[in-house]
This record gives sequence, C-alpha cells and structure tokens, in this order.
Amino acid sequence: MDHQARLRWFAREVLPHEPDLRKWLVGRLRGLGSCDVDEVVQEAYARLWTADSDSIRNARAYLFVTARHIVGEHVRRSRIVAIDLVADLDALNIVDEEMSVDRRLSGQEELARLHGILQTLPPKCREAFELKKFQDFSQRQIAEHMGIAESTVEKHLAKALRLVSEAMKQAPAGAEDGRRRERRFWKWG
Amino acid sequence: MSAGSGNGADIDARAAAWAVRSAERALDDREQRELDAWLTADSRHLGAYVRAQALWLDIDRAVALESGARRAVPPARARNWRPFAMAASLALVVLGGATAYDHLAGRVETGRSEVRHMVLEDGSTVTLNGDSAVQIRYDDKVRQVILRRGEASFEVAHNSERPFVVRAEGLDVRAVGTEFVVGIGAGGVEVTVEEGVVAVGGTASGSAAPRYIRRNEQFVAATTGPRKEVLDAADVERRIAWRKGLLVFNGQQLGDAAAEVNRYSDLRVTIDDPTLARAEFMGVFKLGDARAFAGAAASAFNGEVIRRGNELVLVRQQNSPSH
Repeated sequence: MDHQARLRWFAREVLPHEPDLRKWLVGRLRGLGSCDVDEVVQEAYARLWTADSDSIRNARAYLFVTARHIVGEHVRRSRIVAIDLVADLDALNIVDEEMSVDRRLSGQEELARLHGILQTLPPKCREAFELKKFQDFSQRQIAEHMGIAESTVEKHLAKALRLVSEAMKQAPAGAEDGRRRERRFWKWG
Repeated sequence: MSAGSGNGADIDARAAAWAVRSAERALDDREQRELDAWLTADSRHLGAYVRAQALWLDIDRAVALESGARRAVPPARARNWRPFAMAASLALVVLGGATAYDHLAGRVETGRSEVRHMVLEDGSTVTLNGDSAVQIRYDDKVRQVILRRGEASFEVAHNSERPFVVRAEGLDVRAVGTEFVVGIGAGGVEVTVEEGVVAVGGTASGSAAPRYIRRNEQFVAATTGPRKEVLDAADVERRIAWRKGLLVFNGQQLGDAAAEVNRYSDLRVTIDDPTLARAEFMGVFKLGDARAFAGAAASAFNGEVIRRGNELVLVRQQNSPSH
C-alpha cells in the first residue's frame, strides 16, 4: 500500500474505534497520573502505523490490545498497580468477534456530523475549511478569495482540522444504539 | 512548528499543522527535516501525525458524498480466529456448613477446570484450585488440613484455643485468624499471606523456630532452600484470581501464562516460538478457557492459532507490534 492508501485504510479501519477506545481508557487510567488518554492513543497509533497493516486482520482488536499493552507498560513503570486495571472483563472481550459489529455511520450520517461540527468553528476558520474541502480551492486561492495571507489560511485550516479532530474523539450520537446492542453480547459472568 | 514533546493537545495541534501543510504541497528540504526531527523526538508525535493526516484525508470522502457520489463499501476483512460459542465448563461448587464437614471426612479432590469452595464446621473456608486435593482432619485441639496436591486458599475463622494448621510436604502453616494460600508446585511449597500472619514451621521450613509470614509476603520452601519474598498487593490478587474463576496476567511471560492456562484445560496451548514464549502478556481469562487465551495472545502478538489435535499452537507472524 502506498502512503495515501494506508492513510485511507487507517481512516476506515482504525479511526472509527477511537471513541470506544477513549471511553475504555478513561476508566482504566483513573489515578494513573503518569499517562493520559491522548498519549496512549497517540502511542497506539504510532505502533499501529509502524506495524504491517496487511497482517492486521482485526484492526479494532489490534488497537485495543496495543493500547492495553501501553497502559500495562505505564503501570509497571509506575508500580502503582491496581488489579481492576487488568481484571477487566471488557478488556478480555475486545477480541471477541461480536466486537467487529459494524458501527460506522452511514455516509449521510457522517456528512451530517461533519456539518454539525463545522457549525462550531470560528467563522474565518470555517470559511477557509469549506473553501478547501467543499470547493477544492488551493491555499493560495483561499488567500486571494478571503483577502488574507496564505500563511494565515494555513493556520485557519490547521485549527479547523484540530477542532474537527477534537470533536471526532467523541462517539457520534448515531452510533449509540449499535453499542448498546453490542454490549449485551460481550458481557459474560 | 518547533520541536518539543508537549502534552497531548499540543501534539495534536502541531500534528494538524503538519498534516494540512503536507497535504497541500510537497515539503521543502528544511521543512522535511523539521518534520522528521519532530516525528523522531517522540513516538506519540508519529501517532498524532498519522491520525491528523488520516482525518484530513477522510474528510474528503465524507464531503464527496455531498455531490451524490456513493462510496464503495469495503469488503469485510477476513478473520483468523473463530470464537467458540461455549466457554469451557467451570464448576464452582459451594457446599454448606456442617453437611460439608461430614462429606469431607476423607479426602476432597478437584478436577481440572474446577474450583471448589467449601465452608467447614467452624466457619473457616477452603477454596480448592483445579487439580488439587486436601484432607480435612478436625479434632478438639487442632483444626488440621493436609494439602496433598495442588493449591488451596484458606480463610480461617478466629479461634485461639484451636489453631488452624495446614500441612504440605513437611511444611506446617499455622494460623489463628487469617487468609492465606498454600500451593505445591514444581518449585516447592508456596505460602502466600493475604491477611494477618501465619507461622511456618516443620521439617521443610529450614528452621527449628517458626517463621512469621505477614500480609503480602510469600514463603517458598524450595528444594534449593527456603526463602521469603515481599509481594505487592496486586501480585497477591493476581495469584488468587483463580478463586474467582479467573486467570489474570499482568506482564507475565506468555510461556508461563500458557502453562497456567493449561493447568485448567484439556485443550493445551503450545508456543513453538521461544521469543514469543518470552513476550510479556496481559489479560484476564476464565479458568479453563484455553481458546480465549490463545485467541487473545494471537491478537496481541499478531500471531495465529493453529489447531493440532488436542493442542492450540500459537505461531507468530511477521511485523508484530513491539511490547
């Protein structure tokens, strides 16, 4: 896979599981001052990216297991082990097939979500973003259109991406039903 | 875009800036060097950068739908592990007070993948691990339990008039009111104290005077000589997780973990690759569920499970993640 194809794979197979991973991590990292959720996610992504994506058959399981190992490394380094961190039934079940239930939003839901997020962007930031992504303008064209410096356009776009990416850390409202249905499957005992 | 590690949010901001720029145009040499330096400074930077690039690219796909274009649905990915519908059987039997004692006049044994919980006439409890055997001998002066095989955990009802003694291969463990575990393993007899104090004596203790073992301490009457170790609370909890019908691994070597799992299962997990056997592993499993264990280990190390007769053979694939 070339770089773009790998990024697309990553966006399709890995990113949709991030809200779940974050939720799972929040519970695990409580009281573990030495690492936060962002750090674990970033570290996990770095490892996933460095691994051979062709050999990753279940990206969700791979992601969770990698994250769990990262947390474990922190735990062992800090030596303030709480048993509930590992004695976690959900953690065991992350490799269950039931977890692979498709929870992606439909295309239209995804687009609606993006529009929703765009509403929250500062006006200039949003304008630059819409020109870039919906009109396919270059940064130079956006600069001319908005009458601002190209470097300012880049800053707006970077800010827009950061805000969108921040919003994407949360699970979309539409995915809730799927999750609730799923939970029933992977609880045992 | 200066270098430096920063917190998660800072990293995300820098990653977003780099993702936007590198998607717009090819970076010049100076920028490329700056980006490379930033990426190598901390592996989290790479993770954040990959995430930002993937999101930035993926927005195009969402936006493309606006003009009515439908994306192709990607085919479902092949899976290498079929989960088994049934968890391995695990019997957790609770017997009631006096009835239990009559029943236990002789010997009590457990099979593999069986953990048995017993309440004795004085209110003390014994939990027998899989493939273990005890003999209970209570009289007016002493409450004696002989561990013949395997491992048992004791929660002793307080009675200073009538001490509670567990005997295992020449080792006497005497308690008044406490919780502890005695196990006979390949390395000798192990005594682990969860609560209170026990006095260890007998020929296998290596000393005439009793040794006192306290909470979160372990005494091992090893063939190479007795030793005492201090454990942390989590280690102790991990060691007794079997009482709840669980096996907990928190960074143990995969080979050791598999040996633990195999203790409770007729289906055995085998690891052919010695480097894989030394890899550190984390996870929680139901006792006896060798399939779940093998599946999780395969996922953790990007390996595969091959069924060979009564064995589940773990094989490593290339490019497994580092741990």
